[in-house]
Amino acid sequence: MLKLPQSYADRKHFLIVGALVVIGTIVLGFFLLAILPIKAQASVQAEPIRWLFQLHIWLIAFLFSLVVVFMLYALLVFRRRKHDDSEGEHFEGNTALEVIWTVVPLVLVVIFSFIGVQTLRGATSGGDEVQVKAEGFQWSWAFSYPNGVTSAEMVLPVNKPALITLQSRDVIHSFWVAEWGPKQDLVPGMTTSLHITPTEIGEFQLACAELCGLSHWSMTAKIRVVPEAEYTAWMEEMLAAQNTQTASR
Amino acid sequence: MRLTSLGLVRGLIGYFVGLAVGMAAVVILRLAFGMSAWDQEAVWVGGLISAIIGFLLGVGAMSDWLKWTRGIETPLHHGPPADKPAWTRYFGVDYNHKVIGIQYGVTGLFLLVVGGSFALVFRTELADSGISFLQAGTYNTFLSMHAWVALASILLGIGGIANYLVPLMIGAEDMAFPRLNAFAYWINVPAIVTLLISMLFGWDSGWTAYPPLSLLGPVGYQMVFLAIFTIGLSSILGSLNLIVTMLMMRPKGMTLFRMPILCWAILATSIIQLTATQLIGQAFLMLSFERSLGMPFFKPIYDAAGVNIGGQPILFQHLFWFYSHPAVYVFVLPGLGVISELLPVFARKPLFGYRWVALSSLAIALVGFLVWGHHMFTSGYQPYLRVVFMISTLLVAVPTGVKFFSWLGTLWGGRLTFPTPMLFTLGAISVFLIGGLSGPILATAATDLFLHDTYFVVGHFHATIFGGFVFPFFAAIYYWYPKITGRMYNETLGKLHFWLMTPGFWLMSLAQMTAGTMGMRRRIADYDPALGVENVQLLVTIAGFVIAFSILIMIYNLFTSAEIGVLAGNNPWRSRSPEWQIPSPVPEHSYAKPIAVVGEPYDYGLAGSSYIAMAGAGDD
Ligand code: HEM
Ligand SMILES: [Cu+2]
Ligand SMILES: [Cu+2]
Repeated sequence: MLKLPQSYADRKHFLIVGALVVIGTIVLGFFLLAILPIKAQASVQAEPIRWLFQLHIWLIAFLFSLVVVFMLYALLVFRRRKHDDSEGEHFEGNTALEVIWTVVPLVLVVIFSFIGVQTLRGATSGGDEVQVKAEGFQWSWAFSYPNGVTSAEMVLPVNKPALITLQSRDVIHSFWVAEWGPKQDLVPGMTTSLHITPTEIGEFQLACAELCGLSHWSMTAKIRVVPEAEYTAWMEEMLAAQNTQTASR
Repeated sequence: MRLTSLGLVRGLIGYFVGLAVGMAAVVILRLAFGMSAWDQEAVWVGGLISAIIGFLLGVGAMSDWLKWTRGIETPLHHGPPADKPAWTRYFGVDYNHKVIGIQYGVTGLFLLVVGGSFALVFRTELADSGISFLQAGTYNTFLSMHAWVALASILLGIGGIANYLVPLMIGAEDMAFPRLNAFAYWINVPAIVTLLISMLFGWDSGWTAYPPLSLLGPVGYQMVFLAIFTIGLSSILGSLNLIVTMLMMRPKGMTLFRMPILCWAILATSIIQLTATQLIGQAFLMLSFERSLGMPFFKPIYDAAGVNIGGQPILFQHLFWFYSHPAVYVFVLPGLGVISELLPVFARKPLFGYRWVALSSLAIALVGFLVWGHHMFTSGYQPYLRVVFMISTLLVAVPTGVKFFSWLGTLWGGRLTFPTPMLFTLGAISVFLIGGLSGPILATAATDLFLHDTYFVVGHFHATIFGGFVFPFFAAIYYWYPKITGRMYNETLGKLHFWLMTPGFWLMSLAQMTAGTMGMRRRIADYDPALGVENVQLLVTIAGFVIAFSILIMIYNLFTSAEIGVLAGNNPWRSRSPEWQIPSPVPEHSYAKPIAVVGEPYDYGLAGSSYIAMAGAGDD
């Protein structure tokens, strides 16, 4: 059995704690990555989000381990033993330590601000080769394309940068496809927009992410990301259907 | 004893009389101006304002002031009322800060139970997918009520801690303005009644009440606006009183840097409350006016040419968060102060870096004013603002870190013991750590664009609020219980409470965050089973019930121990703080003689030192 010193300043304490913090960080990091499976992965804009999320997880794992290991260790080693009525060691603080744990986080803040700006740019920029307008209203969605095609589902070609413009007819809603990453509010009286370059083919769900009244929970719509050829075919079909409709009126 | 001799009963009668009179007055006025008699918005608003005044008149919170206007002097009455049982003073206007502190604290605890029960109702609905017993409208009302009732409970709980302890800790006779103190407590009561009445009509926007949604729903909104406005008034008056008390009434020798550290936390909190609360009052007042008078502050309205001659919805969000972000520090700073106050006692060691801890509270409060826009990353405001608010928000982590490290420094090398208050203090640190560490990931805008309005945020703020308020509040209750009642709580039940609630809470937080990353939006009455979060949601619900059950154990403990608990003596924790040097329960006039500060507050382990000296018989 390891014999632990009782003096608070003994180097041995810090060696043990340091080792435990390293182990804790690794174990906790993998644990958190497992229980926090961030869903953003199916667009170009999701990449920086996912990357930054996982970077944060490692920082969290480290800081959590740092505090918890120190705390648990102190609880164990510095607990009062039976029949010991003495007081704790009298030290009131240490300015050098205080400066260190103010400055080091400050440096981290600067680093994360820098990374934050880069990733934000990645998550919010893109081209506008495809354009589609999404309108939200209590409690549904409508989509329209520049060529006049309107639809109840949104269809986009894969790997083509899309610019989605957003308008609300009544209250604030929010456009969110979890797999794509970022969300953006729809605000009555203004037009907002979102850049998305979908990278995965499939069906996704668009869900309103801003509480908008009674049926907010079910304000969803279907999104289909398809190969470009299929997209062109769908668009022509829609155009043709719409033309016959107008003609027959 | 007649029931109407209780101030509370008279106040409630005054409330409903005032309601009837006010509603009638509005109807008559409308008729006099040739309008239709009934307009529910206008009639209710008029009625409710009059009801709140009716309550205050009925309970007697303004009696002395009204007498002053007629030149009648009213000396401060001390002690329980002469002709009634002593307990009745808790149900009427009393100017003793210890009574008011208990009134605040017990009302806060009551609201915590009410708000918690609302959560249990909708958590049961969410335990599996599919709508089972709560229709979406009712769900939204319960969800929204949960938030505001819980927030009111926090504000009152903080009022309890501050009012009871601050005068005791600085050796003052009472607060600077005892009548204002009673008034500030009592206006909460009609506000809470009004808030609860709103449930009958329903409202569905969540606590944030974003327009245009909050301009559309049922009249329940008006009640919420008025209730929160009134509770806000209480915050402003209460914090004013506390600031004056701490700045003007400290004893000889107690410099600011020799105040008990909890006072620093309350000082920082009070500065925020005094200066930021007007913003939410104003914002809710504007919503109320827009609804009842048609003044277009927030909702866009278009003229024939398509030009917006109405308002701007995002403006509301700025006003709202300019208060509501600093408010989250109002919720946690006192609790962090409790942690800093209790650790040295149970570690038998000085608080590590007292000045740094004290100033970090101020720093958090000040930086907290510059970060409100992190709630609006997706709102559609100018994109460059995201960068500004990202950086200012990340900065908050620095003073928060100082607190954590100083707590570790305090534990290190101590002689630690673990009675219930210490357990809750340590539990608070662990939970606040989860909450605090999940903050920066929301602060970097890119990740927040995903996480915003998901359960991740729900997990984040419940962990910060439980770690920063609920756990420390419970620690404070157990810690000062012997001072308040003179008796010890039951230690076994206290530990049982802790060991149910703490793991329950860890589980709940992590499960909420998991659900969020899996794509679960917040504030939804039902979710798609395809999301795969059903098991996680079930865990959250189970954990919620465990937490609720553990709190019932505490309440049982507090009630029974007041009668059968062992006598605690004056200073069971061997604390150096002034309030522990006087008898328990604290006598009507806390300090028989003025105290003087002769040393540092937390010099545990420094032989022969002491913090205060009670004036001896000869030297006053
Ligand atoms: C380390 C410090 C903290 C940081 C960096 C931080 C950051 C954030 C951010 C960026 C959000 C917005 C998330 C979103 O809605 O998308 C947020 C939400 C929130 N935070 Fe914190 N936070 C911190 C500490 C706290 C503390 C101490 C509290 C205290 C109770 C708190 C309470 C809240 C609440 C209530 C919300 C949600 C508001 C709502 O949307 O309803 N946070 N936090
Ligand atoms: Cu919605
Ligand atoms: Cu905030």
